[in-house]
Amino acid sequence: MFDNVQHVIDQLEKHKYICSRDIATTIYLAMKMQKPVLVEGPAGVGKTDLGKCIALALNMELIRLQCYEGLDEAKALYEWEYAKQLLYTQILKDKLSQMLSNEDTLTDAINKLSEEEDVFFSDKFLIPRPILKAVASPSPAVLLIDEIDKSDSEFEAFLLEVLSDYQITIPEIGTIVAKHKPFVLLTSNNAREMSDALKRRCLHLYIDFPSKELEEKIIQIKVPECGSYLTSELIETVHRIRQLPLKKEPSISETLDWAKALSLLGCEVLKKESAIDTLNFILKYEKDIELVKKKSDDIFIH
Amino acid sequence: MKHENDIQHRVKKKFFDFTAILKDAGIELSTVEVMDMFEALQYVEFNDKNAFKQTLSSTLIKDYTDLPVFERCFERFFEKKTGDSDNFLDTLIERSIDQLKSHDDQKITDEQMIMLQEQVEKFLDEQPSESLFEKTPEQLLSLFLESLEESSESGGGGLGFMLFSSRGHTSSPGISEEDSDETGDDATLDDDLYQMMLEMLKNRRNEKTIGTEQKKHDEYLLNKFIYQLTPEEIKEMRELIMRFGQKMKNRISLRKKKIKHGSLDVKRTFRSNMQYDSIPFRLFYKDKRIDRPQLIVLCDISSSVNQYSRFMLLLTYTLQSLFSKVRTFAFISNMVEITELFREMDPERALSSIFSDTDFTYGWGSNYGNSFNQFMENYSDSLSHKSTVLVIGDARNNNQDPGMKSFLRIKERSRNLFWLNPDKRHLWDWSDSIATVYKPHCTEMREVNNVIDLADFVDKLFVKK
Ligand SMILES: Nc1ncnc2c1ncn2[C@@H]1O[C@H](COP(=O)(O)OP(=O)(O)OP(=O)(O)O)[C@@H](O)[C@H]1O
Ligand SMILES: [Mg+2]
Repeated sequence: MFDNVQHVIDQLEKHKYICSRDIATTIYLAMKMQKPVLVEGPAGVGKTDLGKCIALALNMELIRLQCYEGLDEAKALYEWEYAKQLLYTQILKDKLSQMLSNEDTLTDAINKLSEEEDVFFSDKFLIPRPILKAVASPSPAVLLIDEIDKSDSEFEAFLLEVLSDYQITIPEIGTIVAKHKPFVLLTSNNAREMSDALKRRCLHLYIDFPSKELEEKIIQIKVPECGSYLTSELIETVHRIRQLPLKKEPSISETLDWAKALSLLGCEVLKKESAIDTLNFILKYEKDIELVKKKSDDIFIH
Repeated sequence: MKHENDIQHRVKKKFFDFTAILKDAGIELSTVEVMDMFEALQYVEFNDKNAFKQTLSSTLIKDYTDLPVFERCFERFFEKKTGDSDNFLDTLIERSIDQLKSHDDQKITDEQMIMLQEQVEKFLDEQPSESLFEKTPEQLLSLFLESLEESSESGGGGLGFMLFSSRGHTSSPGISEEDSDETGDDATLDDDLYQMMLEMLKNRRNEKTIGTEQKKHDEYLLNKFIYQLTPEEIKEMRELIMRFGQKMKNRISLRKKKIKHGSLDVKRTFRSNMQYDSIPFRLFYKDKRIDRPQLIVLCDISSSVNQYSRFMLLLTYTLQSLFSKVRTFAFISNMVEITELFREMDPERALSSIFSDTDFTYGWGSNYGNSFNQFMENYSDSLSHKSTVLVIGDARNNNQDPGMKSFLRIKERSRNLFWLNPDKRHLWDWSDSIATVYKPHCTEMREVNNVIDLADFVDKLFVKK
């Protein structure tokens, strides 16, 4: 558990995640209040990484559920291992018919069989999926539900139930109640809006592009080989580029790629030519690259 | 001097005030959010401005498109008052009183001051919200004094008595003739006290109306006749439209997702159950086809609709970024496709390059007929039974051929044809406008000249199906 807001910042930094006071505050509060956090923001600003690093910092197990269209309870919660059940039935065929040989009618046979049902619907044949894992975990875990906006709203409704009582009922086995509420982080890229009910259940964290200071720190910690001089020049430049009317602004992950590339090329200062040659590390659209080239006199100092 | 409970109570009230302001500004808040905020406030230090602000925003604001509004309300409500001070809360309570103290040091004690402040707040809370806007501070003050006098007559609260017993002048400064009539002749009080109370009222009123003002400003812009928007307002509009656009998009995709499950997908069910000897353990359903309307926008950008068309183009741009299948055309007397232009640039740049680089044949005035003809000649491939055509313009055809044949073919080859006309309805045939020539052949011709109307239209078009 984190002691205070500053502690969040310090602990995450130990695991190479640089977070703003805003981020740290929401995370700290969410833990105190035992509430899930819905994290939104543009691509590549560290939403997923935040979840991973929290787990590392608190030495908790990270359980990740990647969402996609069509994700259903079977993939999120648990699944019966039908093939294995079928296989066992085959193997036990003789045993079963022997057991049922004394029954005269079909009804009697079925009754007899259903007495043994428990054998087939026990945890031997159960495949636990992330949410069940997180709820049943013997120690507190971080449950990262990534890109929830890609799932369908039916799934969201189901998730809401789990998040309200942290217990899961498996009809054939019983109800599993969480010993420790997992710390739940949901991320979204805003492909669609989440329901009001879900949002009400969560604290909300919007991560925007970082300030220059923070981004500089991120580069220094992740790409130390990029010297401090080059780093600060690079950040200044990236921030100037973000001001332009682009189709897609470069995110932290792109800044990191650029820093790596430039240090591999052995740059010590950001020269205009080498910058332009490597623009494709931070800009994904030809048009954006052209725009930056056109404005290069304002953007690059050297 | 300060009682713990008292302070807690006042602090709590401040936060309730703030949530009320957010609601006034149009942000939806339920009790869950407000309770969360109070719970969260226990855990943060108030001398950490970022943490404090973030505590409020992450508990109260659930829709990121509301963040700019929150930001503005927060700035006005908290920052003005607290300045750069270390501890938010202390200053939050005390500053309002300290500010006033300079007016008067002896005549009134701190306790009385706090009492007075509370009375002022209570009084304003009880006022109907319109009167907060309509009445001048002086008028409000005289009403307040009246209510004080009443309450002191009936024995409740010695405040009125205290104020009026220290009366100095015979007539209150700043109260105009009529107002003093309302107040009654004997309502005279000390100059300094009067000014101080006026100040109190003003501060409190400003604070209370932060949210409403914010919303009023937005609504004012959204409802304003588009021709009359000033250049600054257009800039503000841009942010507003983006916000609305995003909200609209979110809402639409939310509904899209809801109409999914369709009939059994036999093929997929069969295929994936082969591993179980084709015993259908798991069933798969077909997704219902999601209706994605294909939009074709034809926008008149001639000078008769100049301001309007810049604006409509901005909206079209937003539409195009909201929906995947949009093709956009602009015309004066020539029809030009600008889909690509919009796709590649931000609206500001696209708009200026449209007007500088593209040949719509300026100076000739609009020619709807010619433009429709050209559309059929060059772009009729964009039409299908799924497409919805949106014509945006005032139908002022400069007395030229209306191109009815092409217009009818556009109609025939698409599912719907809507016409958004910026002119007021009674002007539809005014001067060289031939709106009613086209109108009977449109699915609907609508007067649209502000954003609310447009949002309404789009909402109906895409959402309510
Ligand atoms: N604050 C940060 N400190 C350190 N590294 C960061 C930070 N933010 C982002 N990164 C790095 O940037 C990259 C992108 O981060 P991540 O994948 O978490 O982004 P995301 O927001 O989840 O993106 P997407 O929306 O595309 O899933 C990762 O390599 C991550 O380590
Ligand atoms: Mg991610």
